[in-house]
Amino acid sequence: MPIVIARDLGKNYRVAEKQPGLRGAMRHLFARKYKIVRAVDGVSFEIEPGEMVAFLGPNGAGKTTTLKMLAGLIYPSNGSCEVLGFTPSDRADAFRRRFSLIMGQKNQLWWDLPAADSFRLHREIYNLPQDQFDRTLGELTELFRVEKLAKQPVRELSLGERMRMELIAALLHRPELLLLDEPTIGLDVVGQGIIQNCLREYNATRGITMLLTSHYMRDVEALCRRVLVINHGRLVYDGALEGITDQFGRVKLLRLQFAGPAPDLSRYGTVTQAVDRAATLQIDRSKASSILSDLLSQHTVTDLSVEDPPLEDAIARIFEQSATPVEAAIAS
Amino acid sequence: MMRYVRLFRAFARVSLLGDMAFRGNFLIKVVVELLWLGLMVFFYDRLFDFTAAVAGWSRPQYFFFLGTYYLMESLIETFFLSNFGEFSELVRTGNLDLVLLKPVDEQFLISFRHVEWSTLPSAVFGLILMTRSILQLDVPPPAMAYVAFAVGLTCAVAMAYSFLLMLSATAVWLVRNQSLYELWWLFMSLMRYPKEIFNAPYTNAIGWFFTFIIPVLLAVNVPAASVVKLLDSQMIAYLVASAVILLFVSRRVFRRAMQSYRSASS
Repeated sequence: MPIVIARDLGKNYRVAEKQPGLRGAMRHLFARKYKIVRAVDGVSFEIEPGEMVAFLGPNGAGKTTTLKMLAGLIYPSNGSCEVLGFTPSDRADAFRRRFSLIMGQKNQLWWDLPAADSFRLHREIYNLPQDQFDRTLGELTELFRVEKLAKQPVRELSLGERMRMELIAALLHRPELLLLDEPTIGLDVVGQGIIQNCLREYNATRGITMLLTSHYMRDVEALCRRVLVINHGRLVYDGALEGITDQFGRVKLLRLQFAGPAPDLSRYGTVTQAVDRAATLQIDRSKASSILSDLLSQHTVTDLSVEDPPLEDAIARIFEQSATPVEAAIAS
Repeated sequence: MMRYVRLFRAFARVSLLGDMAFRGNFLIKVVVELLWLGLMVFFYDRLFDFTAAVAGWSRPQYFFFLGTYYLMESLIETFFLSNFGEFSELVRTGNLDLVLLKPVDEQFLISFRHVEWSTLPSAVFGLILMTRSILQLDVPPPAMAYVAFAVGLTCAVAMAYSFLLMLSATAVWLVRNQSLYELWWLFMSLMRYPKEIFNAPYTNAIGWFFTFIIPVLLAVNVPAASVVKLLDSQMIAYLVASAVILLFVSRRVFRRAMQSYRSASS
């Protein structure tokens, strides 16, 4: 039984169009022109319990809008969704007890107080029994390695430490579903790594379902086996992470080490790097085997590796290939 | 219900902790607030050196009225005014999202999530002023007068709450609605004076309008008059009815606003 079901989910926004300058402002005052922007346009997918799914797409693709519809923050314009057996937009308390939404750019902890005070407030808000609260908090502070930080005012914590505290606050009521919107935004590689490890471990021990949006491919590669790619409000890919490179990666990268100076390889493909005896060559994926055998027969190759190009490249190609935004201008 | 009482206590506690984190600022706010009230009392005290009554209210009666106003203003400012003041900012920045995610009634969470402790001493100031006035009265008020006062004041605070709730809800459609708050300050100014001051040929209509159409003038007048002047049970009933209707309507308006909320970019 899927934990999240989205059927033909869509969200339209009416956005005022305003010309720049004083004349534009005056015109806007008397005759407003609006356009309808389809932020999300008929998206359908299902997520099973325990899955960790990444939601990818460029800025403005509709990722956050979809997450907000799943969290019941905004009403869908069309289609429907069901999360944990509830219609999210009803905002039933029983539903809100069972999931959490973390937004990397917003914080819910009291800024001037130690996180421990905000945690206590969460206990009241979620009406958690004291013993369960103590146990969960103990487990989480250990998992997120923040034992010494809970008594420090939140404003004095580093961004990474604060994000870990935000995660603890979001997990205190033991949600079954965790929606994460850019949880590692602004963090350095080490900070990102810590958050990724904690989330992976939490998923392994608790079996929590996660849907995550992120611009950092490291997050996605570290956490998710399945990805949903959305662009201009439409779902353009739903499948395994590896499938993206198979389906959209046109090229392969060859890293070659020669016995002597690297020969001219431009007839095989694009030479991206050639230093001394080493060369990196980008070749057409479909011709990989013939180029390889040709290379090995004609040159003395001492070392060789065949790699997929970075995931970002494949994702960028999906974005480029998918359709243009759907807009309808109306005057009112 | 008990859960909401506990939750309110938790909000009050965290707010106090927040205030205590900046003790200096907190103390300055309290002192300035009390100085301001003290200055007003001094002004009215001097005024009564020149006249026996203002609009039919004698010195002790008028000071009881003033004490009631301070008490009501303090309750409003302590428990919900700042929360409503921040509401449009929550809408504009999209931080309302964080409120809507909690398994608690949204209206409760928005109205009472922060307690402004620094304005509570004004309530004590008001109570002292009222007690002193009662002791100065020739005839002590009957017990029934205090009941009427409690009912009247509760209804007045409830009306102010409902009005602020509706005012805040407009932020969902207008996003920036600070200009509407000018209306609130206008109403607060109207509440500050006995309604009899409108008993003049050119202002009768204004007094009538703000008594029966928008019953702002009743807020302080009716509870204060119940104790130190006349207990008008019809006016108390009118106040109760107005409060109940306003509470009901404001909740409907607020819920409608929440359905129209479109969140902000993140």
